[in-house]
Amino acid sequence: MPVLEASGIRKRFGGVTALAGADFSLHAGEVHALVGSNGCGKSTLCKIIGGSVAADAGELTLNDKPVTFSGPQDAAAEHIGVFYQDLSLIPKMTVAENIFLGREPTGRAGLVDQPALHQAASAALAGFREVLGDGIDADTTVAALSADQGQMVEILKVLAAQPRIIILDEATAALDRNQVAAVFEHVRSLKAAGCSIIFITHRMDEVFDIADRVTVMRNGATVMTADSDQTTREALVEAMVGELATARGKSARHTPAAEVALQVDGLSSDKLVDVSLQLKRGEILGLGGLHGQGQSELLRVLFGARRMRSGHVRIAGKSFDPRGPRSAMRHAVAYISGDRARYGVMAIRPIFENLVVSLLARERRQIIARRKLEGEIAPIIETLKLKFDSLGAAVSQLSGGNQQKVVIGRWLATRPQVLLLDDPTKGIDIQTKVDLYATLDDLCAQGVSIMLYSSDDEELLAIADRVLVFNAGRIVTELTGEQRTQFELYRAAYDAGHTGLQQAASKQTPAQQTGSHQPGTQQIDAKEAGSKATDSEKIGSKKIDSKKTGEATE
Amino acid sequence: MEKPSLETLKTFIKRPLSIAVIAILVLLVGGELLSPGFASPRQIVALLTIAALLGVVAAGQNLVILGGREGIDLSVGGVISFGAFLAGNLMQQSDANIIHAVVLVLGATFLIGMVTGLGVTFLRIPPLVMTLGMLGVVQGGLVLLTRGVPSGRAAPLLGKIVSDPVILGLPGIVYIWILVGITLSWVLRRTTFGLNVYAIGTNETAAELAGVPVRRTRVMVFALSGFFSGLTGILLLGYTEYVFIGAGDQYMLPSIIAVVIGGTSLAGGSGGYVGTMAGAVVLILLQNILTTLNIPPFGRQIIFGVTLLGLMLLYGRQRRLRG
Amino acid sequence: MKSADMRQPVSGRSGWSRQRHPYLMAALVFVVLCVVNAALQQTFLRYEVAISNVAAFLPMALLAVGQTYVILAADIDLSTGAIVSVVNVAVVTIIESMGGTGASMALGLAAGLLLGITCGAINGFCVAVLRLQPIVTTFGTGIVFAGFALWILPQAGRQVPPVIYLTYAGTVLGVPSVIWILAGAIAFAAFVGRTRFYKALRATGGNIQAAYQTGLPVARVRMGAFVISGFFAALAGLALVGETASGDPLIGGALTLPSITAVVLGGTALSGCVGGVAGSILGAFILGLISNVIFFAQLPFEWQGLVQGLIILLALAGGVVMARGKQG
Repeated sequence: MPVLEASGIRKRFGGVTALAGADFSLHAGEVHALVGSNGCGKSTLCKIIGGSVAADAGELTLNDKPVTFSGPQDAAAEHIGVFYQDLSLIPKMTVAENIFLGREPTGRAGLVDQPALHQAASAALAGFREVLGDGIDADTTVAALSADQGQMVEILKVLAAQPRIIILDEATAALDRNQVAAVFEHVRSLKAAGCSIIFITHRMDEVFDIADRVTVMRNGATVMTADSDQTTREALVEAMVGELATARGKSARHTPAAEVALQVDGLSSDKLVDVSLQLKRGEILGLGGLHGQGQSELLRVLFGARRMRSGHVRIAGKSFDPRGPRSAMRHAVAYISGDRARYGVMAIRPIFENLVVSLLARERRQIIARRKLEGEIAPIIETLKLKFDSLGAAVSQLSGGNQQKVVIGRWLATRPQVLLLDDPTKGIDIQTKVDLYATLDDLCAQGVSIMLYSSDDEELLAIADRVLVFNAGRIVTELTGEQRTQFELYRAAYDAGHTGLQQAASKQTPAQQTGSHQPGTQQIDAKEAGSKATDSEKIGSKKIDSKKTGEATE
Repeated sequence: MEKPSLETLKTFIKRPLSIAVIAILVLLVGGELLSPGFASPRQIVALLTIAALLGVVAAGQNLVILGGREGIDLSVGGVISFGAFLAGNLMQQSDANIIHAVVLVLGATFLIGMVTGLGVTFLRIPPLVMTLGMLGVVQGGLVLLTRGVPSGRAAPLLGKIVSDPVILGLPGIVYIWILVGITLSWVLRRTTFGLNVYAIGTNETAAELAGVPVRRTRVMVFALSGFFSGLTGILLLGYTEYVFIGAGDQYMLPSIIAVVIGGTSLAGGSGGYVGTMAGAVVLILLQNILTTLNIPPFGRQIIFGVTLLGLMLLYGRQRRLRG
Repeated sequence: MKSADMRQPVSGRSGWSRQRHPYLMAALVFVVLCVVNAALQQTFLRYEVAISNVAAFLPMALLAVGQTYVILAADIDLSTGAIVSVVNVAVVTIIESMGGTGASMALGLAAGLLLGITCGAINGFCVAVLRLQPIVTTFGTGIVFAGFALWILPQAGRQVPPVIYLTYAGTVLGVPSVIWILAGAIAFAAFVGRTRFYKALRATGGNIQAAYQTGLPVARVRMGAFVISGFFAALAGLALVGETASGDPLIGGALTLPSITAVVLGGTALSGCVGGVAGSILGAFILGLISNVIFFAQLPFEWQGLVQGLIILLALAGGVVMARGKQG
């Protein structure tokens, strides 16, 4: 009965183990959810099933017949369709070209039948017309699409191949509720037609909405499989996180001073509307709300990585114009992103260089006095509990958590007064997170002020002294004291008051759920989808040219 | 320039140049066996002299390639010729003019490189295209300056500095090259500027967010390439006394090859100058062997090209698409 | 979630836009140059002069056409000039050594094209299969091909039967041969431009990882582009046989870099995916017209090179900006 079976799959990427003997079985005509925390291996497993990654060991069987894929085309030949988390769209080609890439309709003499292509694409788009929004038709260039539109196009592309086994890896991460509902309708009719679907999501309610069975992975292995109506949220979360669920706990509350470290008045930018706030010395100010509502944008604007259109910023009372990272750095502001591969580490360079680069820049030192610098970073290495073989080794040799520690250490060396943290614990193991929380607490005690965005609500609510909830680029409410619960957070995040205002902006409709709605933690890569991602990676007006590292994403 | 510490020297020698060094030894031994006198002191001096000329221009090329973003400098040949002519015309065979000729030429070629760097950095014109365009402009400017007629003579002192034996029978140019080597290696490994060059070559975005002055560094890298090309032109002038039009053209391709042989990745962010120095020696040795073996020009070319491809197979393979 | 806020989509609506037709700027520049040229050279618009201009620009145009496919795939071919040389001398040598008969000419021409395809296949193998970096690799193969050219014909010389250059300079069915060749190239491009191969080619250049994940035969596509480039370089070599009526092993040496210039001028992006053959042909013609304009403007000899270089640099910058469109 299983139409697909994976057993004992192992995979290493360099020094990182992505899969350590994972098993998975898919029945015909079912929707099977695959869940787990970041780094558990679910994406890698799907890439192996999809043929774009080769397993080191293990077996894959289709309809009881063992198969080996030498590339994505082999999997496609077996009617396996994969929606890739990092999208497989070509930015400078049109929607129609992307949907039917590789299977364009042909006419006379085997030439591509352009009108037929256009028609087929329009028909595909028509299926989702109500939820797609404006500015998209068959001839729109993918680079001009927004993040959600890009995802929808990718979904259409997967479906255009008429696969029998469909893997949807975070296919709903950037979609709003209406769009998700439309996609689920399609999924149900595909199910009825006999397709089998593997569905990866971070949103618990989606799991219980659409999935027949659910498998939990942790640390590269499968830990649990159950029917969705036979299990509960809590059971799944427990399986995902293991005993360390409680290790996070509530960190000690800080005692912020009355002094204002950072003051923002009427700040507006591309995605922010009239933001005002005060960051007190020694506090952790959390930025909450659904993913991509302006939290990251605010942090980047304050650091000078995104342009500020209007408003005033003051640091310790003095006016501050965030023109760029270097000017922010000179004012003792530091920024750390959770996307360390793209914005954090210089992968092939030694750990030493990664650690001292900002310190050298800040103090405008021209000569690298190695011994002196080693002395200066030694206490930081100890505080962060950074583990490595030698300072001269490439930073890519480290685990994800340690790499992030390097990025943090780099900035701690500059003795910042204001720390802007942009989802810093994304994709990091629990132990490192615990270490990090302790470090943040210490910093607060020393008078450093921290602004933190986390896509993990529980983490945010646990660490932050206050939480500012964002919706469509505005601060909707502030949660303090007893209000810091997920219920209050989502109530504010889905505040109905703002949905009507912007013409195309927020597509959020009021949420009716009671349980936690985990925002998708996956950010759309503007380079891959070509879409202007909500937390897009623009510095100033330039498009960021990012290099891929050999690191595993999951 | 401060004296390199003992530690610098030690790390200097321990660098993985195995393939290049082995190749040098093999070629030297092989050449001597095939044609006795190949590895004689006089030949070695000639070899090192030519290698020095290539090595200096390759220093600039090395920096540009390290800086990443498909950095490459196709204009070096034109700038070398330009530098040589300008130097010759300023010196006019007079020793008194040496200092100001050198300063002016180095300043001018530095500025030329800076213009290239500005185009690449601020207009975001790909280096291939920008340096290609600058090559045309520089060559055109050269014709304007010279009115098509080769002119200018080296000051006798320059010729002496370049060609007369100093220590161990090696001419001044070799020591100048060694000086360039020590300085550049030190800059790359011991200065913030060097660290910044590697940073922007590895991950420009992360570097910018880390506070690295990305734009300034990139412009500087191209400006330095111009500087080194100018220096090569001056040395070339000292070596040949007269320079003819297009004298620098033959250095462009080998400068890139020397950098690649030396282990610097064309993607940027990794590699160093010592390897490039070895690469330059390997290249000239290879050319010499092919000449000595009395292989006709076409044969030399074919073998040379095939060798280059072979080296690419060792060094230049790109990532697989499949994980 | 819409992040575009109040922004309208940039481009890509059905109809004419810079994204869909990146050669528009080149077309404009071409027209301007024609006007300038006509102003400086009274005979410019005369039929014979126009045809002779086309004949002069043809080899570069053919090279640029082939180079376009390689660049669309985000690669580059620095051996095209060398392929021109080796094909040129091979053809001439074959024809002369076989007595200059009709059969020898047919054989020679066919062998030339085959040689070009083979060279392209070698390039494609190195870059797409062995995964060597395109710039240095095609430099290397170029050196090898040029070496073979020297081997086949160390000194310029040899003759071909008059019928070849007369045909090249003359007309077939009332239409000048060079127009036939140009039309053939355009027809080829129009045909290929509508194939699945072409879409796969652009996708490979646009985002090779995504193209691979989509299941496109990325290596085969890149190989195909190099083969096409080799074919057109061979065609250019043949055209030069027709024009010079003899062989010259160094004939192609200076053609490679201008061929890239022509492609960039035409609005094709070096990063791939954007652009097309139409622009490259225009780019080649623009290069030729710039030369003409410089000549007929009767600038002092010593200024010509510099002015030409500056114009080309400006045009290159313009081409890059146009290909980039409104992104970043």
